[in-house]
Amino acid sequence: MDKIGLYLGCLIPTEQYAYELAIREVLPELGLELVDIEEPACCGAPLRHINLSLTMYLSARNMALFEKEGLDILAPCPYCHQALSEVKDVMKKNPALKKKVNSYLKEEGLEYKGTIEHYHLLDLLHDQIGIDKIKKHVKKPLEGLNIAAHYGCHLIRPNDIPRPDDSENPQKLETLLKAIGAESDYYNEKLNCCGAHILLNESESALTKTGQKLEAVQNHGFDGMTTMCPWGQRMFDAKQDSAGQTVGASLSVPVIYYIQLLGLALGKEPEALGLHLNKSPVGKLSSKEEV
Amino acid sequence: MSIVDLTSMAEPEGNQQAKVDEIIKGLREDLSHDCYQCGKCTSGCEAFILTELEPHKVMALSKSGFIDELLNSSEIWTCVTCLKCKERCPQDLAPVDVIFALKNIAVVSGKQIDSGYSNMLQAVLGTGFIQSPKEVVDRENNAVTRDALGLPPMKGPAEIPKLQQVLMKAATETLR
Ligand code: SF4
Ligand code: SF4
Repeated sequence: MDKIGLYLGCLIPTEQYAYELAIREVLPELGLELVDIEEPACCGAPLRHINLSLTMYLSARNMALFEKEGLDILAPCPYCHQALSEVKDVMKKNPALKKKVNSYLKEEGLEYKGTIEHYHLLDLLHDQIGIDKIKKHVKKPLEGLNIAAHYGCHLIRPNDIPRPDDSENPQKLETLLKAIGAESDYYNEKLNCCGAHILLNESESALTKTGQKLEAVQNHGFDGMTTMCPWGQRMFDAKQDSAGQTVGASLSVPVIYYIQLLGLALGKEPEALGLHLNKSPVGKLSSKEEV
Repeated sequence: MSIVDLTSMAEPEGNQQAKVDEIIKGLREDLSHDCYQCGKCTSGCEAFILTELEPHKVMALSKSGFIDELLNSSEIWTCVTCLKCKERCPQDLAPVDVIFALKNIAVVSGKQIDSGYSNMLQAVLGTGFIQSPKEVVDRENNAVTRDALGLPPMKGPAEIPKLQQVLMKAATETLR
């Protein structure tokens, strides 16, 4: 694989700029060209609360756009990735539904056939680019850092459709952390949810979930936490202070996208990876391993 | 139960109440045969720990026809969509999908929903995305934009009215 279509969804290109910066900085270094396509829109996942058909239409629409260009998709947001996976699966199993969706797509001059693959960073890095290649590119191994892995619910569930890793015992992120020289202990709260999806209407409960997980990570003695999800990153990083207030804990946990850590290990400048945009004290990471 | 059972995009037009009844009937048929109230969904539910949400009760109430009670409660809106209930149900049921269906029914029946959700829908209809690019601040409190960071301009749908039209059609034909 030498090129892939980049599908960023909504949250990444409108505020999670560090994630986008790091993706655009790091993947070409590993030999992967990223292609932006014309006219993408929301994947529809956030609208599922309101009307499932909107999710179906929008996910199919985005896949049809990439298909037209003959490009596989990189969807670095697990929420998008899950919607694409589910809609793809449903249309494969239900030709009548596929026909119906296509009758709508036709009005936008599009057609969904189901001929392309889509990846998240987790499987792209672990299975496509591969651990060996990543190890070969490491210039500054992140020795001495013990980083907590946070996968994100939508990245690993549900297991009746293809997901990038196992739903109850995912390990690829830990393997990727080890590939760049870091450690990653197991912790009991590893699969706990970040709470992002009820921030809109139940902010206190949402921030309690965020705060409890961060507190567990801090008490375990981790040097930081890594994520692969813009929603989880926003909760653990940008909302860390309010999450701490909500659970009555003084939190100081560096929270960093895995792709940013990978960039540091490849010797990239912190600013090129958007590290100045993280709100949590990520400086603590570099002082510890002296990047 | 899957996403398809709850959408029926393949269905022709009908009136709104008939559609609601149909979704409910579909729900109840599935549930009455399969859910044996073991409570495994609730034991691992990420929302249950903090809110009143008990997915096994949602299943029981839907099965017994207490749909209106569920639609009027705020519980169904506290599901964090962690999907653990769907993952772990020994009967391959998906309380999370039942909860999504209930929320969709609440919307189509004209129940008051949190403005956050309707704002999101308006944003997608108006721009194609749930929000537009924001100015953010870095750790030193300097304001930055995509442009200032050297990121390319964000691409989006060129013909918004067209997209809007198709989305409205897709949504109403399903739940009407
Ligand atoms: S886990 Fe499944 S069978 Fe058990 S109560 Fe929940 S929905 Fe019913
Ligand atoms: S998806 Fe919702 S109902 Fe199911 S376990 Fe998670 S929070 Fe509970």
